[in-house]
Amino acid sequence: MANYNIDADKALTYDVIVVGSGISGGWAAKEFTEKGLKTLVLERGRIVKHVEDYPTMNLDPWDMELRGGLTPEEKDRHYKGGRSGFIGKDTEHFWANDRENPYTEEKPFLWIRAHQMGGRSLLWGKQTYRWSDIDFEANAKDGHGVDWPIRYKDLEPWYTYVEKFAGISGSAENLKQLPDGHFLPPMDLNVVEKSVKERIEKNHPGRKMIIGRVAHLTEPLNGRGTCQYRNRCSRGCPYGAYFSSNAVTLPAANATGNLTIRPFSIVQEVIYDEKAGKATGVRVIDAETSEVIDYKAKIIFLNASTLSSTQILLNSKSSRFENGMGNDSGELGHNLMDHTYRVGAVGQVEGFEDRYYKGRRPNGIYIPRYWNIDRESQSDKFVRGFGFQGGAGRGGSRAAANRAEFGAEYKDSLFAPGPWEFFITGFSECLPYHSNEVKLNTDVLDKWGQPTLTINAEWGDNERALNDQAQADATEMLEQAGLTNIVSFNNQHEMGYGIHEMGTARMGRDPKTSVLNGWNQIHAVKNVFVTDGACMTSSACVNPSLTYMALTARAANYAVSELNKRNI
Amino acid sequence: MLNRRELLRRASWLTGGALAAPAMLAILQSCQEEAKASFEPTYFTPAEAAFVTAYVDTLLPRTETPGGLDVGVDRFIDKVMAAAGPRVDTPGDFGSGIRAMEEEASKLHGRAFAELDLAQRGELFAAAEERSARYNPQVWGTAVGEQPPIDFYRSFKSMVLWAYLSSETIATEVLNYDPVPGEYNGDIPLSSVNGRAWSL
Repeated sequence: MANYNIDADKALTYDVIVVGSGISGGWAAKEFTEKGLKTLVLERGRIVKHVEDYPTMNLDPWDMELRGGLTPEEKDRHYKGGRSGFIGKDTEHFWANDRENPYTEEKPFLWIRAHQMGGRSLLWGKQTYRWSDIDFEANAKDGHGVDWPIRYKDLEPWYTYVEKFAGISGSAENLKQLPDGHFLPPMDLNVVEKSVKERIEKNHPGRKMIIGRVAHLTEPLNGRGTCQYRNRCSRGCPYGAYFSSNAVTLPAANATGNLTIRPFSIVQEVIYDEKAGKATGVRVIDAETSEVIDYKAKIIFLNASTLSSTQILLNSKSSRFENGMGNDSGELGHNLMDHTYRVGAVGQVEGFEDRYYKGRRPNGIYIPRYWNIDRESQSDKFVRGFGFQGGAGRGGSRAAANRAEFGAEYKDSLFAPGPWEFFITGFSECLPYHSNEVKLNTDVLDKWGQPTLTINAEWGDNERALNDQAQADATEMLEQAGLTNIVSFNNQHEMGYGIHEMGTARMGRDPKTSVLNGWNQIHAVKNVFVTDGACMTSSACVNPSLTYMALTARAANYAVSELNKRNI
Repeated sequence: MLNRRELLRRASWLTGGALAAPAMLAILQSCQEEAKASFEPTYFTPAEAAFVTAYVDTLLPRTETPGGLDVGVDRFIDKVMAAAGPRVDTPGDFGSGIRAMEEEASKLHGRAFAELDLAQRGELFAAAEERSARYNPQVWGTAVGEQPPIDFYRSFKSMVLWAYLSSETIATEVLNYDPVPGEYNGDIPLSSVNGRAWSL
């Protein structure tokens, strides 16, 4: 792979500055550089080159000193992020250091960050679902939050555009609540999932159980290889089979010759020019030298991740914007959302003892939302809805630890796969509450002496009602499907566990009640765009990353046309 | 203790839950002369190491396939525990868990666990199985449902199983090892892989 140009020229004014190189920043970089614009991507962490900077990608458990376990020192670096249960030796180097980057939880909130080139695009779950008009119209219809300034038809071509380049595998199902996309062949359901699907769809007309739609290649695409079913994605994929900025968008941007990516560049604020009425650049602290540097550009895209982009705006104070850039509405920092996590049921499936599977599929099943999608499915207990992810597999040593035997026969029995288990876990939509907010904290400073964020957010009654229904429905579906030893669960995780934080700089039609317009432009600063999760006006119940990609590509192409028209 | 507990949990079993930890120092000390661990412990005392070795050998003896000691389960557990930070004896940790088992061995049979015959060890296991809570299922690495506290006996058993099944010998020579499957096939006969599980 070609090297990245990491020597940003202080004197040079770039056409575009993109803050952040994760899922949305990578897309912004690709769109702008391919349109011929000189683009500076500012990344607060280090460079992570595809393949060569994936040190653990081929390690077996015994290749690691503690077979994946962390030392106390490593654990301490992730004393918050570790709550997710996802951080082991195989990926520890891709999760942000919580000690160097503190945040304050006024109420419990898990803020997962990944401070390197590629950001969380290296670590994400890769579930990719289009939103539907049921989602875009929801706020307007039930009155929660403000209306989205766009509808499905505005985003539909951009969904197709990003899907074609990212590579999304899935099955077309013709569901109004979950529009079909441009799909590569779907992954297979296993034998037990097929059986459970039949039972659930027979017992519950209107509910569908489908294979997850995922950003994994099931056919080669643009020189990238197909999924080899190792399920070691979060270490970085040597085949480039899953979508990440590192494997897909940034190499494309780099190939144009128009990309400069400057690592260790923590953006503090967007610089505003009162006379011109627009932004002129950004102020950066070099994470290694603490040097403060200003970079200039005509267009600024904030893609630092939901809360970090908002943090930058809150910190961008001027006499015009005393409470943060673009905060005329007072909504900047507000309406933080996430999806609920780990609420559902798990049980055993009888039979199929002589059947097994080959390959570790980095995907599961999906049961799309079925509540409140039409007149027949209206609930009187809650608005919006939830979908389930899940899957079937054969158990291992954990079940064996529950058995009372010991000795030779017990030992030999460990070598056979355990019973078939099937689980589903719900992701409920979260309403945009003004009271769920982040604000700057000037008492707690980060390693570079800069203000940090205080997060004050919690679930409301509607999310609790959705979760109650999700738990009841999951349990009932498994019971009626004939599963045994069912455990019904609602872990009641606080916000943030979904790692789908959204909102805090929402799009809207009215500058008085929103931060961004229908093109992700700050209403009052037309050359600053926010296209990561911060822009979200509602949360839907499906995974948001594909929507960030589509919004980003759409906004970038709009920004180029506005620049060409000299409107910005 | 938190770090150690977190480390243990990461490896997919749970510690926590307090066993009574009576002062059995005298008994442990008296055992030390006879202690026969298969390794030089870093974390465990010699007497504890003798318990760990005996326990592993009892749970996973050598047959036509390697036993727990053949793949170094006991010394690996010692290494993991040592790496988890300085030893702090608190109720519910492995030290007090082992003490409680030894106390029972001494009470019932007047000898250390490592010196009991198989039937006597089985008796102790049966009693522990009786009172020990079971693991709830996991979803994405976290137990779901109302998980009762898991005591030393169950978490140690779980740890031994993990150490055994994740060892290179068992994973590559006994189980089906396929680091790069290349495909997903959701329905194969179990007999086509000799009735054995995948190791990864």
